[in-house]
Amino acid sequence: MRIDKVTVETDDWDIKTFSLSFVNQEDEADFKYIPGQFVELSVLGKGEAPFGMASSPTQPGRLEFTVSKIGVVTTALHNMEAGRTVGVRGPLGNGYPIEELKGKNMVMIGGGFGFSTLRALTNLALDETNRDNFKDITVIYGARRPGLLLYKDDLEKWGKRSDIHLHLTVDTGDEEWAGKVGFVPAVTKEVAPSSEEAYALVCGPPAMIKFTLPVVEELGFPPERTLLSMEMRMKCGLGMCGRCNIGSQYVCRDGPVFSLAKLSRLPQEY
Amino acid sequence: MKAKIIKKTDIASFLDKLIEDYEAFAPVEMDGLISFEKVSSSSEALLDYPNSKMPPKQLLFPQSETLFSYSSTKDTGELEVPSGPEKPRLIFSIRPCDAMSFTLLDKVFGGDFKDPYYLNRRANTVLVSIGCTTPRASCFCNSVGGGPFSTEGSDLLLIDIGDEYVVQIVSDKGAKLLDKKGFEDTGKEKLDLAAGVIKTAEASMGPGVKTEGLKEKLDSIFDDPVWQQLTEKCLGCGICTYLCPTCHCFDIVDETIGSGGERVRLWDSCQFPLFTLQASGANPRPTGKERFRQRMMHKFSYLLDSCDQIGCVGCGRCITECPVNLDIRQVLNSIAQLESVK
Amino acid sequence: MPELTNKIREVARDLLQQKKVDLVIGFARGTTPMCSTPCFVRQDGEVNGLIWDSFCENNLAKYLVKRSDKIAIIAKGCDARAVVELIKENQISRDQVVIIGVPCQGMVDRGMVRSALEGNEIQEVEEKDDRLIIKGKNFEKVLNRNEFLHPSCKVCTHRNPVIYDILVGDTVKELDTEPYLDVAEFEALTPEEREEYFSKEFAKCIRCYACRNACPLCYCQECFVDCSKPQWIGKTTEASDTAIFHIMRAFHLAGRCVECGACERACPMGVDIRKLNRKLTKDVKERFDYEAGLNLEEVAPLSTFKPDDAEEFILHP
Repeated sequence: MRIDKVTVETDDWDIKTFSLSFVNQEDEADFKYIPGQFVELSVLGKGEAPFGMASSPTQPGRLEFTVSKIGVVTTALHNMEAGRTVGVRGPLGNGYPIEELKGKNMVMIGGGFGFSTLRALTNLALDETNRDNFKDITVIYGARRPGLLLYKDDLEKWGKRSDIHLHLTVDTGDEEWAGKVGFVPAVTKEVAPSSEEAYALVCGPPAMIKFTLPVVEELGFPPERTLLSMEMRMKCGLGMCGRCNIGSQYVCRDGPVFSLAKLSRLPQEY
Repeated sequence: MKAKIIKKTDIASFLDKLIEDYEAFAPVEMDGLISFEKVSSSSEALLDYPNSKMPPKQLLFPQSETLFSYSSTKDTGELEVPSGPEKPRLIFSIRPCDAMSFTLLDKVFGGDFKDPYYLNRRANTVLVSIGCTTPRASCFCNSVGGGPFSTEGSDLLLIDIGDEYVVQIVSDKGAKLLDKKGFEDTGKEKLDLAAGVIKTAEASMGPGVKTEGLKEKLDSIFDDPVWQQLTEKCLGCGICTYLCPTCHCFDIVDETIGSGGERVRLWDSCQFPLFTLQASGANPRPTGKERFRQRMMHKFSYLLDSCDQIGCVGCGRCITECPVNLDIRQVLNSIAQLESVK
Repeated sequence: MPELTNKIREVARDLLQQKKVDLVIGFARGTTPMCSTPCFVRQDGEVNGLIWDSFCENNLAKYLVKRSDKIAIIAKGCDARAVVELIKENQISRDQVVIIGVPCQGMVDRGMVRSALEGNEIQEVEEKDDRLIIKGKNFEKVLNRNEFLHPSCKVCTHRNPVIYDILVGDTVKELDTEPYLDVAEFEALTPEEREEYFSKEFAKCIRCYACRNACPLCYCQECFVDCSKPQWIGKTTEASDTAIFHIMRAFHLAGRCVECGACERACPMGVDIRKLNRKLTKDVKERFDYEAGLNLEEVAPLSTFKPDDAEEFILHP
């Protein structure tokens, strides 16, 4: 796929979003995905790495991936500009259970860089063709500081809409920051979204997940309606290469989205 | 049982005839090391040998395999996928345990996602196995679903009855090998002889491992401190996984060659810390204990869930080659003796 | 050997009973003939699992790194040298370890014994003095153990532990051999012959890293082969990748290798790994008059500089 646009997301320049379009039209027709799924992006000479789709299938013609510069492939991607071509293998994984979520309230709780697939899901649900399929949408999203919040355009748009409850928070604010200051779990507790007919979707760094889950449980979300998107080192994305398993479940093939109910039946090795 | 008779004096010419039509691989001894190599004459092949050091899995699942190559790293362009072997392949004189290992790999590489590299080679390969008249002390195939004369995965099985082999026909692919070669059908007398050989071999084997209830036991002791004790002496090398005929975990890397390169699939090992190390520095299996446990769980629990088959054929390579004699039988049997925790 | 076994058990029992150590690392009987296995004893009631025989081939110093408990270790000459190196390299402190030295007669190479039996499977081996009484199905054979020693044991110059807290058994006579004859022979080959030899050896390598992981001095937190940023070498079994792995590893062990041969014994493919290490060991000995792991005082030559260090390789590249 061709890189059409590269957006620097954070003020430290470590996270960029790549907007890609298909070089071959047939590929576009074949590429049907849902938020929560991922692909292996390929840079020749460097290798492949997995990235969740940050874009929503309701916005056809392009795929977006948010890339944090951390490894070999991500560094190579960061060095690429619009016009370059990268390989895409996917879509892979299960994605969020869209059908199950329809007609329900959704509470999305995201931290840092893990927010990208929740952003995709939010945009899918907010799309005019879809909005009626979902009930209340609450988004609680935090970053360490304002400069690290992703998707500022979207956040601004969402903030203006009345059909989404948006709660942004940062660990430490600055003089311009007018939003909440505090960790995601604490803000979740404060916002206290109703668990009635609702799903909690939690995505973020391990520490955030660890402290958010008890809050979610306290709010009355049963494990079946608490969904997490897991991260593990992956290679093949097909459940063959053997490294991303949690018990007998491969994060790449059976995940990356798991309900807490399912996870709690698996070994705590993640 | 459908079977033919081949005199031992005729086996060489049988193989030589097959070599005309097939790219043939057989165990060969070089510098004291037995390995499966391409043979151009029956004289190179071993029929009476303990077992090869490396399992023949690398003939179907090579340690290093080019998935595709590219002439330039300047974006996509000319990707080239290597073509498979043209001639059909024959693996001759493979042991039943190693032949059986392919039945597991078939499921791993032929599940929901099909791996064309493995599957094409597999479809293009015919296996002639040779039963083990004298199983070694480290063999425990009989306790993991196989046996010294198991036909699982094979197309033909040779049973040594003295001056002749009873050749059991396991598949149509195998039957084709014997077509128009003029071998006689096996009469009852020789079938009885073969049955006797099999029985003696089976009876000579030790108790091996108890797999009954093992999965449930393993699932229940995931957090047991016993893993620490069991793995204390493990060096964390990759011998047990690389020499295992069923281990199939791999890595995918790019190798730059000049201005282009190759994307290569390489064997990897769950025993290496790097296997699960995330770019962030987090590692869900940070020490030898977790990695060894993963190996046992994968083989004797997880694969039962995904493939309905365990990842062990009892070849004993991991026992004889482990530098510190960490014996898988001992590990499994001490686990079997533990109280289940729920 | 039974006397040594008994003495080892006694010493281990005393140390554990008197709470002088938390753990004794020694050898136990293995599950296959001619195979002893590392054994970790924490209770005095378990000391009878400890044994001593001709197959205690592992270098137990491997297990001393990154520990906080107090440990007694059964140490042959080479194990003791490795302990010295580890202490010098600050991987363990001297007062954390009780060295139970065992003078060593050389360990028996079971592969060599097996090849002398032409494929007959060994079921049981008994040791009497220098004799190995080998029993299998329908055969019995007696071999002289001294003819079947590991290659590293045949050229060993420090069979008696160079450092110990307790010595078990009588000291043995050191071998009276020209120490680097094998290296000198190899050096006499032409560069082409040497390259051919190494190419053939490295071609056998399957990159299982058993050599590295068995080596008591290979304890790097992150081995250079595992680095990805930058990636120093490829991970394939291509000739250049395996050669670089072995060459780099040998260089990293120059002046540190204690010549225990653990690398070679661990190798499943029979790669002659020691050849490179031996050459570097000889060079270090000749240039700096230094042998690794002989005492705690001497400074490692490659981590220090002396004005009279040989430097002709700089002047005449």
